[in-house]
Amino acid sequence: MSVDAADSVLGRLWAPFEAQSGSRRSLLLMSPLILFETLVFVVPFAILVRISVSEQSGSLPYAEGTFTVASYAEVLQSGLLQGIIVYSFRLGIVATVVAVVLATFYAYATWRADGLLKSALLFSVVLPLLTTLVIKTYAWVPLLAPNGTANNLLLAVGLLSAPVQVVPNTLGVVIGQVYIVFPYAMLAIYSVLSTVEWELVEAARDLGAGRLRSFFEVVVPEIMPGITVATIISFAWSVGAYSAPALLGAGSDRPFALEVQEQMLLNFNWPVATALSTIMLVLMFVSIVLIYVVLGRFGGDLSDAA
Amino acid sequence: MSDIELRNVSKSYGDLRAVDGVDLSVRDGELLCLLGPSGCGKSTTMRMISGLETPTSGEVHIGGDDVTDQAAYDRNTSMVFQNWALFPYKTVLENVAFGLKMRGDGADERRREAGEMLERVHMDGYEEHSTTDLSGGQKQRVALARSLAVDPDVLLLDEPLSNLDKRLREEMEIELKDIHEEFDKTFVYVTHNQDEAFTLADRIGIMNDGRLVQVGAPTEVYRNPTNRFVEDFLGDTNFVAGEVTDVGDRHARLSTAFDATIRIPAFEAADPGASFTVSLRPEFMRIRRANGADTPEGTAARADGTGGDTITGTVENSIYRGSSIRYVVAVGGEQLFVEQSVTEQTGIEEGAEVELGWDTHNILVFHPDGSRARAE
Repeated sequence: MSVDAADSVLGRLWAPFEAQSGSRRSLLLMSPLILFETLVFVVPFAILVRISVSEQSGSLPYAEGTFTVASYAEVLQSGLLQGIIVYSFRLGIVATVVAVVLATFYAYATWRADGLLKSALLFSVVLPLLTTLVIKTYAWVPLLAPNGTANNLLLAVGLLSAPVQVVPNTLGVVIGQVYIVFPYAMLAIYSVLSTVEWELVEAARDLGAGRLRSFFEVVVPEIMPGITVATIISFAWSVGAYSAPALLGAGSDRPFALEVQEQMLLNFNWPVATALSTIMLVLMFVSIVLIYVVLGRFGGDLSDAA
Repeated sequence: MSDIELRNVSKSYGDLRAVDGVDLSVRDGELLCLLGPSGCGKSTTMRMISGLETPTSGEVHIGGDDVTDQAAYDRNTSMVFQNWALFPYKTVLENVAFGLKMRGDGADERRREAGEMLERVHMDGYEEHSTTDLSGGQKQRVALARSLAVDPDVLLLDEPLSNLDKRLREEMEIELKDIHEEFDKTFVYVTHNQDEAFTLADRIGIMNDGRLVQVGAPTEVYRNPTNRFVEDFLGDTNFVAGEVTDVGDRHARLSTAFDATIRIPAFEAADPGASFTVSLRPEFMRIRRANGADTPEGTAARADGTGGDTITGTVENSIYRGSSIRYVVAVGGEQLFVEQSVTEQTGIEEGAEVELGWDTHNILVFHPDGSRARAE
């Protein structure tokens, strides 16, 4: 079953290229894109991979013209770096689940709202996108700090007896990261949800499905493409998160983006930095295919499929 | 028992009163059509029976139980939607089995029952098809099977045939009638198409402007409407306004825009000077070539003697409609429609002087406020 699903997913991914391959005309039309991709992605990535298999050097970022897989071995054997990889993925998974669940409910509420409320809900999602990432992430610091607004408010009301350490902490990183990816997740889901006919929900309810049941039976399969996109965006961004951990994190729990920066700019150890990046890229690719396959299976009748 | 009773039901959306104090009882096992122009509140009325809308005021009873505050998923009613609302991510079989699944039936039972229902609507063989590949008529059948599968007390149909072409619609009308007889359930059918209503309905409820205007058997509402709206909405008719000139024992005379008076049944209210509107159905009028000697006065005089009125006019247009011919006749500055079966070849051409006649008992008389003026 899962093999079939994987086949069909790869088939689906490949189909557009296969359809194009016979036509020289479409190849010509695609040539600017291919050139662009080659220049900004393929070439730099090839250079990155080349550096990752170079020897480390005491005086230079890396030893040119050498070949070794020592840096890969170092990354895979180092407990510290393994911890960093695990931390990155945990952050990615937690932030993605929270963001996608929140975004789904928010999108549903926006879908069902009308008039001024609908505009207000949509506008407040788009509004944060107008501000710089760094500023809106930093804004959490005075809000969540031990002597910040949130703590002071809860202390004053009497809900807390002592301030809670949220920033700098992993909780703060998760909150900041969810805040960053939430608009993209919400818009991805909403764009699909807004094309769903409310009549389908009515039909489900008319046939005896309760509110939750009709949501999971009828709405969720319909918006699965949106949820898949939201999940992939949130996950890819959160695993590679940089600004939220850098500004809101404690420093002890570091995701890989910060580690790569440190290896490159402080330790001048480019082979380890690029090897770590390459390993993360492979892991991310596998994860995203996995997400695609798993979520793609929920496009039909949920419990009949099982 | 699954009779439906609406008691003084109203539904408002802000300032808009979509349904206004509707009292309606639908008998157990009956097929009742709610008929009216778009925006008259017929769909909203039906949605309140299904539970998809909650009345602003009034009560809904099904089978003797007050279900006013019950949600749609707690009511044993089932609705066939205008656009069918089939679940696109489910197969035909999964669609039909959906209600059974919600009810908690096992997978084997669902498969068997849904399969039987598909067979009943002649859609067996399509079980594993996607609903998006089906034609309009096929979707219609699947939607019907899905609603019937849950064995509802009441089946509600919201303009289910309006998206089908004429031939298919007529085919489905007959099939729906068969299904209604076979399943012996209460059906409420909403439509704006009077042919559909006349074909299907045991009784027709005619709605206008949020109100239920009249409920009755098809012949009853067509031949004996309670007000002018019903007479106007069903079929075609000619309305002629006039004032009472003199009142006799059994008949009164109405002076009209034509240069002729019309004889109407005498009413208590028919004092000289009172205004009335008369409805002359095109199919109840006779047409023949005028024998040139007749004057309006002569026509009126002859009408007095024979029991029916005749007036003269000029044929402006004749429209061939397949089974009948419709003449547009100009009479004293007004236009009258006359319908004649094609079998009665009169050979009347455009421009011909004609004589129109009718029997007094075939005309209906309405007060200026639209209510029906009835003979004592």
